[in-house]
Amino acid sequence: MHIPDGFLNTATVVTTGVVSAGGIANAVRIANKKLGERHIPMMGILAAFIFAAQMLNFPVAGGTSGHVIGAALVAILLGPWAAVIIMSVVLIAQSLIFQDGGLLALGANIFNMGVVAGFGAYYIYRLMGTLLGDSNRSRLVSGFVAAWSSVLLASIACAIELAVSGTSPLSVVLPAMAGVHALIGIGEGLITVAVVSVVMSTRADLLKLQRI
Amino acid sequence: MKHSFLDQYSDRDSIIHRLDPRGKLVVTTAFIAAVVMTPFGSWLAYGLYFIVIAALIALSRLPVSHFIKRSLVIIPFVLLVAAFVPFFKEGEVAGSYNLWLWNISVTHSGLQVLYNIMIKAWLSILCLILLTSTTSFNNILKGLEQLKMPKVIVMIMSFMYRYIFLLTDEVLRMKQARDSRNFGGGRKLWQIGTVGSMIGTLFIRSYERGERVYASMVARGFDGHARTLGQLQFSRRDALFIAVLGTVLVSISLINLVY
Repeated sequence: MHIPDGFLNTATVVTTGVVSAGGIANAVRIANKKLGERHIPMMGILAAFIFAAQMLNFPVAGGTSGHVIGAALVAILLGPWAAVIIMSVVLIAQSLIFQDGGLLALGANIFNMGVVAGFGAYYIYRLMGTLLGDSNRSRLVSGFVAAWSSVLLASIACAIELAVSGTSPLSVVLPAMAGVHALIGIGEGLITVAVVSVVMSTRADLLKLQRI
Repeated sequence: MKHSFLDQYSDRDSIIHRLDPRGKLVVTTAFIAAVVMTPFGSWLAYGLYFIVIAALIALSRLPVSHFIKRSLVIIPFVLLVAAFVPFFKEGEVAGSYNLWLWNISVTHSGLQVLYNIMIKAWLSILCLILLTSTTSFNNILKGLEQLKMPKVIVMIMSFMYRYIFLLTDEVLRMKQARDSRNFGGGRKLWQIGTVGSMIGTLFIRSYERGERVYASMVARGFDGHARTLGQLQFSRRDALFIAVLGTVLVSISLINLVY
């Protein structure tokens, strides 16, 4: 889902760039206010954690493998603004170090995998939590649904950006992207559930951190 | 630690290596912007951009194989996104397929767009490889900070860079432990549960490490600001570099307009 350079037109690059820059600025402001200077080393190490977690591939059918994106996980554990900061930092580093995702496409990639995925996952998790009540089982179910939807929502945003840029008609790219990612999202959901259940059984207090 | 893959070759020496990171960041962004905004089908402009990047690669005195290897790693991911491109509705049909519910067709104009996009993506990728292979990540971060990227983000990125190596080691150890307990029985989808608990453990370890690091930083007087020695030097050579590359990029787009 990392959009490379050359796929988006100037209008999309500028719009998503401005929105993402605003999102990051606001996330930094909120983190500074609520967590103080404590958040700096923590966000850095957790960004390195997402980076390392993405190295853990799991086999999918046909010899391919997938890995977790992580936005939903961070949003569930630390809140949506933390997800925006951490995913932005990870995406900037991936673009610069691995050329995974373009430099000018960073705005779009941060918007899809940070803002859309992070906020989508967080609010779906919250909504499911109120619907299902406060139990460990409901946390796991909401975690799965939130993680699955975060991948789907991000892929829909990505499809719309590609279509608006004129690279592919929406009628082709939207069902294709959403269809593929509805499957990929299952992996993301299962992993997120497994992570949440490990955290629940070893350090349950981490599930009740102050979220930003 | 055995992962020099992050900014490999950035510790070498050449004219390009010695340039100020700010200049390189500005030129990289300008180059990619120029490539991205080139109208479709401007083959002459693509050729000229390629000559520019090839000349810079030659000046950097890095092995060409490094650039080829790195691009070959990333091109499949580009193709993954590009797979949807050639299915334009208009234009002469090059091939038509029935896929379950859809009847999709590949058109010549769609394929043209695909070639153009792939070339643009590849030129941009080469430029980014050149940037990271000639500039250490710390210097890139210093450059970004001076170019007014928010200080907090730069600090978070420098922490991330510092701990990537440690956590990567941690992941490799966990992988080794898993594989040694899982002789011959792997490659099944239910490994997903194992991966999940590994990531969970990794999260707890990372979080606790974060707490410890913060506590020891506060004990040493951390107040939210990082003070570093080693200032960047923006010399006349860097100004010249920006001026020359700027002129080249502008002339290429002008040439492209005329032809």
